[in-house]
Amino acid sequence: MTSPDTQDEALRREVRDWLAANWSPGTDRATFAAAMLAAGWTAASWEPDCYGRGLTDRQSRLVTAEFAAVGAPGSGHDRADLFACTIHDRGSQEQKRRLLPPALRGETKSCLLYSEPGAGSDLAGLRTRAERDGDDWVVNGQKVWTSFATTADYGMLVARTNPDVPKHNGITFFMLPMRQPGVEVRPIHQITGESEFNEVFLTDARVPDANRIGEPGEGWAVLQVALGYERRLMGDVARTARRKEKSSGLVELAREAGCLGDAHIRQQIARTQALATVNRWNNQRAKTSTDRAEAATLLALGKIAMSRILHETARVQTEIVGAESMLTGPENPVGDAVTFRALNAYFTSIGGGTDQIQRNIIGERVLGLPKEPDPYRDAPFRDLPH
Amino acid sequence: MGLLGLLVPEQYGGAGAGLVELGVVAEELGRVLFAGPYLSTAVLAVNLVLALDDPQQCAAVLPAIAAGRSRVAVAFAEGAATRPPAQPTTSFRDGLISGEKRFVLDAETADLLYVLASADTGPGVFAVDPAGPGVTVEPLTTVDPSRRLCLVRFADAPATAVGAAGSGVAALTAALDRSAVALLGEQAGAARFAMEMARDYATTRYQFGRAIGSFQAVKHMCADMLLEAESTVSAARHVAATAGSTGWIADLALAQAYCSDAFVFVGATNIQVHGGIGFTWEHPAHRYLRRARSDAHLFGSPAWHRERHLQEIGA
Repeated sequence: MTSPDTQDEALRREVRDWLAANWSPGTDRATFAAAMLAAGWTAASWEPDCYGRGLTDRQSRLVTAEFAAVGAPGSGHDRADLFACTIHDRGSQEQKRRLLPPALRGETKSCLLYSEPGAGSDLAGLRTRAERDGDDWVVNGQKVWTSFATTADYGMLVARTNPDVPKHNGITFFMLPMRQPGVEVRPIHQITGESEFNEVFLTDARVPDANRIGEPGEGWAVLQVALGYERRLMGDVARTARRKEKSSGLVELAREAGCLGDAHIRQQIARTQALATVNRWNNQRAKTSTDRAEAATLLALGKIAMSRILHETARVQTEIVGAESMLTGPENPVGDAVTFRALNAYFTSIGGGTDQIQRNIIGERVLGLPKEPDPYRDAPFRDLPH
Repeated sequence: MGLLGLLVPEQYGGAGAGLVELGVVAEELGRVLFAGPYLSTAVLAVNLVLALDDPQQCAAVLPAIAAGRSRVAVAFAEGAATRPPAQPTTSFRDGLISGEKRFVLDAETADLLYVLASADTGPGVFAVDPAGPGVTVEPLTTVDPSRRLCLVRFADAPATAVGAAGSGVAALTAALDRSAVALLGEQAGAARFAMEMARDYATTRYQFGRAIGSFQAVKHMCADMLLEAESTVSAARHVAATAGSTGWIADLALAQAYCSDAFVFVGATNIQVHGGIGFTWEHPAHRYLRRARSDAHLFGSPAWHRERHLQEIGA
């Protein structure tokens, strides 16, 4: 029996040797992606008969680290590719054979078609319909907050297929082909002036039944799998993010504005720095904890902590720059940056579940407090008030 | 359990443990609002004697503390501040100390006092027998009954210098910084306990036919308490584990400011979650808020620590 350290070292060496033989910055990307898929490095924690090598999640991260060290792309699909992960967990054998290889080679991209104008916090109240028509389903409705909709090949779609049962039970999950006439993408103009997200209008869009993931009516459960991967990915990003500017630049900003000597401003700066620093200590504790529940608790708290840091930082910046905060545009870079921060903070406090929904989740899943009673729990979807 | 001698080096009969171990003990003491003279004697006095680096004093005092035979209080604060004054008005001359010290933790039950006082050679620490002539110990009425603070007056009280002349402020500051790890641990443990009280009450108290924790207004208060309580735990453990490293004082100052405010928030919100019962003297909720409000000023105010942080990072 070899020790884990010895096994890790052997794995690292194997990856390094393989990379030395197959990768250089000038390597043809398609050739490299095909070789990588054949070798099982794209999703190393998956089973050997499903493009993987049967490694543990931790070992798969070691593989990714080796790829990152030499700048080679394409590793870590078993964590970062929500489309592939969902198919791996819930797709049929046929779907895995057909949909996974192009995704794992990086040839197909995907986007999320979850939220709707009328279904945000209450996602299960979604109204986009999918109706069976021969071998296809015909989809009508509207989705929002979709990143990368213009470049995606597939949309991970939740749609209502049965309005006569309670809302969670009438939803089905599809991989919708995005490049078709029934799919219209319009950018959303955000309060910051940027456009990172899109609305997606679905008008008689078609998706083959072969692209249905799970049984009709089981979409909510499939969605939980996809959301689980998404949360895990967000947690990874949060934990590995390096805060370059420890001070959020507040000290420098105050120095430039000539108010670093102001006792009131100094207190506000230190208060905000404490929020950011303590959040970093929370993340460090989550990372080093051997207690999974403790780590999960800290990560769940991380989102509301980050919302507060961003809003508070913007608020103190506004106090520091004073009247400049009335101005914007390229000719007023100081005020412009502060306003951007103040408005963009809502990206975090609303996006991916509002702070209020996050507090419900913390209260219910972490603290074990009872859920709000839902008088429509057993009512058919079509009877819900809206 | 040997907890009194936790910080005492083995050569003086203690466990020779570090600040991580101290933090673990402090979290448990904080949970139950332990009222004994642990922070004053086993933590602050021991840290001060070690910081003064006076072998004679170590040999005379540390074994007695570790064995539970001695209680020692440290008198440093004057006027309205709870940090060591750079130029104490309490003064030492010809073997006698005169002046007044405030907020002296557990002086009433101490058999030895360490007093920060000015001298010709600069501020120093002096050992005084509280039962000796010229010493009056007057218990103060404290908002937290589990923290016994005293006013101590010295009128030509006999005193002996401890440690190098003029080293008093530096030694006390070092001792307070190491002792702050225990205060942070106590704040973290107590904050967590108060949060658990609120959670348990919100789960079992029914109004309108449902547990009040099912109402989002109450649930969100509990979620915010959890964030603050867990943050105090992370902060306390981080500074305990990194003591003495580069930038530690800046981190410590931030942690002291944050944990003080966070514990007050959790203590206060716990009362609000409890509603009417939380407003009664018999219910323990107010004891945690009293401890929180007292802890927030025991070793310097949150505002003082924030300013210290900025100065430490050169701002």
